Amino acid sequence: MNASYLRYAGRRLVQAVVVVLLAYVFTFVVISVLPGDPVTNTLRNPENGFTEEEIARIVSYYGLDQPIAVQLWQSLSHFLVGDLGVSLRSNLPVTRLVAEVVPSTLALAASALAVALVLAFAIAYGTQNLPRRYGQGVLRAFPSLFLSVPAFVVGLLLIQVFAFQLGLFSVIEPDSAWATFFAAVALGIPVSAQVAEVLITGLDHESRQEYAAVARSRGLGQARLFAKHLLKPSSLPVVTVVALTVGELLGGALIIETIFGRTGIGSLVQRSVSTQDLPVLQAVVSLAAVVFVVVNLLADLVYPLLDPRVRTEPASASGKAGLGEAPEQPILERQVSVP
Amino acid sequence: MTATTTVVGSRGVATVRGWSAVVPPTVLVSFAVLLVVLLWSLLPGVLASQDPVNGVPADKLLGPSADHWFGTDHLGRDLFSRVVHGTASSVASALVAVTIGVVVGGAIGLVAGSAGGWADIVLARIVDVLLAIPSFLLAVVIVSWLGFETVNAAIATGVSAVAVFARVMRAEVIKTRRAVFVEASVLQGGSRTHVLLRHVLPNASRSLLALAVLQFGLSILVIAGLAFLGYGDPPPASDWGLLVSSGKDYPTAPWLVYAPALVVVATVLSVNRISRWLRRTD
Repeated sequence: MNASYLRYAGRRLVQAVVVVLLAYVFTFVVISVLPGDPVTNTLRNPENGFTEEEIARIVSYYGLDQPIAVQLWQSLSHFLVGDLGVSLRSNLPVTRLVAEVVPSTLALAASALAVALVLAFAIAYGTQNLPRRYGQGVLRAFPSLFLSVPAFVVGLLLIQVFAFQLGLFSVIEPDSAWATFFAAVALGIPVSAQVAEVLITGLDHESRQEYAAVARSRGLGQARLFAKHLLKPSSLPVVTVVALTVGELLGGALIIETIFGRTGIGSLVQRSVSTQDLPVLQAVVSLAAVVFVVVNLLADLVYPLLDPRVRTEPASASGKAGLGEAPEQPILERQVSVP
Repeated sequence: MTATTTVVGSRGVATVRGWSAVVPPTVLVSFAVLLVVLLWSLLPGVLASQDPVNGVPADKLLGPSADHWFGTDHLGRDLFSRVVHGTASSVASALVAVTIGVVVGGAIGLVAGSAGGWADIVLARIVDVLLAIPSFLLAVVIVSWLGFETVNAAIATGVSAVAVFARVMRAEVIKTRRAVFVEASVLQGGSRTHVLLRHVLPNASRSLLALAVLQFGLSILVIAGLAFLGYGDPPPASDWGLLVSSGKDYPTAPWLVYAPALVVVATVLSVNRISRWLRRTD
């Protein structure tokens, strides 16, 4: 915990807060400029028979007669103290609606992450330890394949095989253990590809290092070399990659929850999209951004402690708080570098 | 002897604009797949002669056969024909998405990288915001704002890809600006615009191309996902994602899911293979 680390932590913390606030503003602007706000639409519907006076009263109750900037300020200040507003459709506090569905999505995302890590480490292990000729080439193609299959196809395939043909779980009980497991597999597969890619790159790099050659020359077998020497340094970047995939787990939940018939954040979003329940959408998107930013902040703060080679000072003058700081780099790597 | 000849024949040496590289067979296959996809999207009527919208009710839910390569759906429509006719919108919308990403993201990255200072910091935070919101969620919100159409799904996908392009572009610009030949160009009196157009952009274009190809595959998946959730053109449009989505209601006719799904996977796999090959030959 030296001064340079603390400065780095402080800088990242400020950045994270700024990004969360900006994400809220961004979502608010996108959502509030939706053509025709749903409140007025409902009120103006002649079937509901509101008088002009009542309309004016309700509109001012929701604060919709205020300028956008004032609405934004009010909404943002409520958000900061944890008040997410009231759903336009059900009149329930958004906090409650979100709290109801979070456990289910959290369980799904956590299981998906676990599946992804197990799969990724298994694939990575195979690429280093299987006979070069048969196993490795096939395994190395897995991440690329995993990234090419839409999650909904994997989900439907799993349901077709394990629910309809093998009868392992029933689609009418989406919260049973097996159903959750297979939903997690479908959600976790694309994530596992990204983790596996980083792991394989790391392992290939480490096994070319001199210390690996020394260990081999002293008679260490490939399996022991892998477990004792190669695995640890190659696993470090996994921390960053996993943090980056949080967004994908949340986004992917939209599709997977639909397919497996689960209630969760994904189904809440879909319902709010179809009913134009803007406060709920605003809340879910901003909370997703908060989760992403917090998880990535933690990953960035933990990383230098795990890996002493990482420098916490800005790389150079022009790198100051810029787009390409060292801990942020792996985003780029995830997209661009495939072993 | 024959084996050797085959290998040599299929790994012909190609020199594409100065890249002298051996084209691996899998890359050739990938190009062939994309060529088929391209033909499907350009000439759907020629390659699939059956009517994609009006079916023969008597022929409903038939399995794959010589007459119906991918079988038929619940209205007796030829699925192969529907897949082929849905290609243009599935693939073109991914191209629209990538174009938005390259142009907007590239511009942001270019300004951030070449201006530096405050502009860089401000743009960096904007990009961070775009990255912080899960891209699929962002796409859903944007598409619900624009309206449920495939064009809008493409725009939404493009916006959610802007951040990635901005990052890569900025990194490339900074890398090139520090190069000795750029310094030399500036010392010889090269203006900022000159350096940008003559040196920075051409150098960045390769990384950007590989990323664009990769993002193209990703966009096909995202747009298929949006169509699957019903955020694209409604039926009788036959976007690939929509076909899978309507096919899933007929578990007794699994080809309704597998055939379009296989087409998506083959296309994206080919795109990804080519992207990886482009990066390696850099």
